[in-house]
Amino acid sequence: MLKTDLWPQLEPLLARIERPARYLNREWGCVYKEDADFSFCMVYPDTYELGQANQAIRILVNRVNAVPGMVAERAFLPAVDLISLMREEGLPLFSIESCAPLSEFDAIGITLPHELAATNVLEVLDLAGIPLRTVDRGEDCPIILAGGPCAFNPEPYAPFFDAVTIGEGEEALPEALELIARMRAEGALRKDILRALADVSGTYVPSLYRWRTEEEAQAAGSWAEPVVEGVPELVVKRVFEGFAESNAWEPSIVPYTEVVHDRLNVEILRGCARGCRFCQAGMMYRPVRERSAENVVNAVLRGLSETGYDETSLTSLSSTDHSQISQILTNLNSACAGKGIRVSIPSQRLDSFGVEMAGLVAGQKKGGLTFAPEAGTQRLRDVINKNVTEDDLFSAIDAAFSAGWRRCKLYFMIGLPTETDDDIKGIASLAQRAYERAKANVPDDQRGSIQMSISCSVFVPKSQTPFQWDGQISPEETMRRVRLLRNSVKYRAISVNYHDPKTSFVEAVMSRGGREVADWVESAWRRGARFDAWTELFNQQAWLDAAEELGLVPEKVAQAVYDTSYVLPWSHISAGVSTRYLALERRRAGEGVITGDCTFGKCTGCGVCQAVGVDNQLMESRAKEEVR
Amino acid sequence: MADPRLFRLRVVFVKQGRLAMLSHLELCRALERAVRRAGLPYAVSQGFSPHMRIAFGAALPVGVGGTHEFFDLFLENYVAPDKCFDALKAASAPDLMVQSCSYVGHSAPAASVAFPVCTYRVELSAVPSCFVTPEEVTVTRKKKEKILSVAEFLVEPVRFDEETPSVAFFALEAKPEGSLRPDVFIKSCIEATVASEGAPADLHVLTLTRIGQRSLSGEELA
Repeated sequence: MLKTDLWPQLEPLLARIERPARYLNREWGCVYKEDADFSFCMVYPDTYELGQANQAIRILVNRVNAVPGMVAERAFLPAVDLISLMREEGLPLFSIESCAPLSEFDAIGITLPHELAATNVLEVLDLAGIPLRTVDRGEDCPIILAGGPCAFNPEPYAPFFDAVTIGEGEEALPEALELIARMRAEGALRKDILRALADVSGTYVPSLYRWRTEEEAQAAGSWAEPVVEGVPELVVKRVFEGFAESNAWEPSIVPYTEVVHDRLNVEILRGCARGCRFCQAGMMYRPVRERSAENVVNAVLRGLSETGYDETSLTSLSSTDHSQISQILTNLNSACAGKGIRVSIPSQRLDSFGVEMAGLVAGQKKGGLTFAPEAGTQRLRDVINKNVTEDDLFSAIDAAFSAGWRRCKLYFMIGLPTETDDDIKGIASLAQRAYERAKANVPDDQRGSIQMSISCSVFVPKSQTPFQWDGQISPEETMRRVRLLRNSVKYRAISVNYHDPKTSFVEAVMSRGGREVADWVESAWRRGARFDAWTELFNQQAWLDAAEELGLVPEKVAQAVYDTSYVLPWSHISAGVSTRYLALERRRAGEGVITGDCTFGKCTGCGVCQAVGVDNQLMESRAKEEVR
Repeated sequence: MADPRLFRLRVVFVKQGRLAMLSHLELCRALERAVRRAGLPYAVSQGFSPHMRIAFGAALPVGVGGTHEFFDLFLENYVAPDKCFDALKAASAPDLMVQSCSYVGHSAPAASVAFPVCTYRVELSAVPSCFVTPEEVTVTRKKKEKILSVAEFLVEPVRFDEETPSVAFFALEAKPEGSLRPDVFIKSCIEATVASEGAPADLHVLTLTRIGQRSLSGEELA
């Protein structure tokens, strides 16, 4: 049970920092369970503004609170101004609801939303007064769990976590916590609890595996050698089988201060089988599961009335692929008419149907549309399996600009496998022709208002994808290609933005590294690296110095290109998609052969349905949309 | 602005406790959400981005609470004030609780300027032996320094409570050309008091609360 209330110590600090509303608690929709025997704190390793709307935090806090006798609270990393004051005053990291020190919780869960959050994980643990490494934690220390997208290569975090949940946590987390609660009540030792956690399906307990040398790993077929009998050689991800039937209304806390995605988010489907070969989410969240139109519409209406939001977003990896999306949007439009409620869909499918759906919700106000061709030439789009043609893009542009949109952003990736200078020039050419198409669809006197921008990110090879064996290009080479792109764009109306390759480099190391990278993270953090995803706070020198100290060559980790027979550091973790399929897809990429989407056509043999025992669940056939 | 088909509901609420630390924008957003949760038939503006027809009273700085704050909400249909009150009560956070609801005429002055004279209650960390009110307060706005004459704004001087000597009251008037923020004013007073050794150096504000708002003619917000 939580005993300490840190509010009296926190309150005087709030007058000295920015936006105190982030730390106040008392938001609408918070759950308090003061008499719970077992307490869990769900942590987002960045500030409240970034983490409050996070789906994992929201869903998992709700799931744990639904367990009798258990309470789940939230915690976020404070902004640097408050962190400094807390360190000065000796105030440890606190939960939002009870303002209790994190060290008093029975268990703590930290979500790993992206590769640049690693040093923030250490900042969280240190600010909470919890030893950074599992080997240093005592019997009365909370059990530290992890999950989220980066858990699919857990090794750069391995020494810091007691256990890692791979895949969807709706059922896995309560199971793990019930086990911890039961064993703690029986007075079990920490090491016995960790051993038992390894038996919870989808749970990886890093301390029960020895890290092999490269030579050993290549011979054995895995880097992680179980050192305790009975722990799994391969940890397969969890899938929440009941997702499609479960209520789409997920109770939501309404923040006071403005946060990212500050609206009612309703998850309408999970998974995407389009099969882009660089995309980790596409492999991670398979199979595809749709919630029914009725479920979604009811959830939105109930959610709006319970939260008071004036905007709802129908979230998923590809919302316009939902087989009933047209029905959902039409029904919501008529239900929300005249109330000043906005409905939005997070990403547009790159064709005229996508634009038609965007038009259904845009009303009179048409902001910008974002399309992601990802690559500038058809050749490279075939390599990455982005099954989109120039004609798809142009028909989307025609539809958008004739319907009244005036702003359009085009997303591309630089440094994709097999990319040449012609592909870079192709980005400029594609954007210019898109701009000409836009102009042709707009009355003469409005042409000056057309805005088109190219936004480039740097390709980061991700675990569990067909491109996991491919390396990232060097930051210098990225800049050369960016300059080539800028010089190739002739129209002044088209702006070019790009992502800082220095941070993308750290991302790639975190994405592909083995257990040895954990030392690098800790050393960089000790040298002051934190909030690496915040461009203005990124401390490159700390990372360089840390590498030198350890004799680690991060370039090798980020940039090495391997044959598909090479055993990678995450081969003991499975997203359900077979390594054989990933290798096949990598070979097809080299040949420029595309692979279809099994939710629109036939099975492509990725193996996930067999591995996790769940099939695609579609409300209606999607194929009809294709023949429209 | 005044649409005679609409009903202008004046809602009085508190801003207290931890939620005194909300900024004006955060407060406005929280109140709009409470109105939507309450399910009241609020009017929506016309145009490209339709939004709720609502007007807020004069803003309070971050950290300053209020016992009688208000907003005017324009409703499409008449709903009995006690019905509005019950619905808002169920939809409001305890520290932003609605106090009363009543209809006001369309000719009443706009919410933001209706009550320019505000009375504040300040609770200090200690009892000063001699409290100093400076003649001028220097404020920095957008990197430019500006000197405000206290006499122009301070319509009721700082008066300490006889029973609780660490508590004081004062009233400031907001002018169309500008105003003196109560938190800035009281901070200047504390600095001047400490400088003249009227109180120990750690004297600080415990709470600052707006306890009354009135028009220039003396009409109080109910």
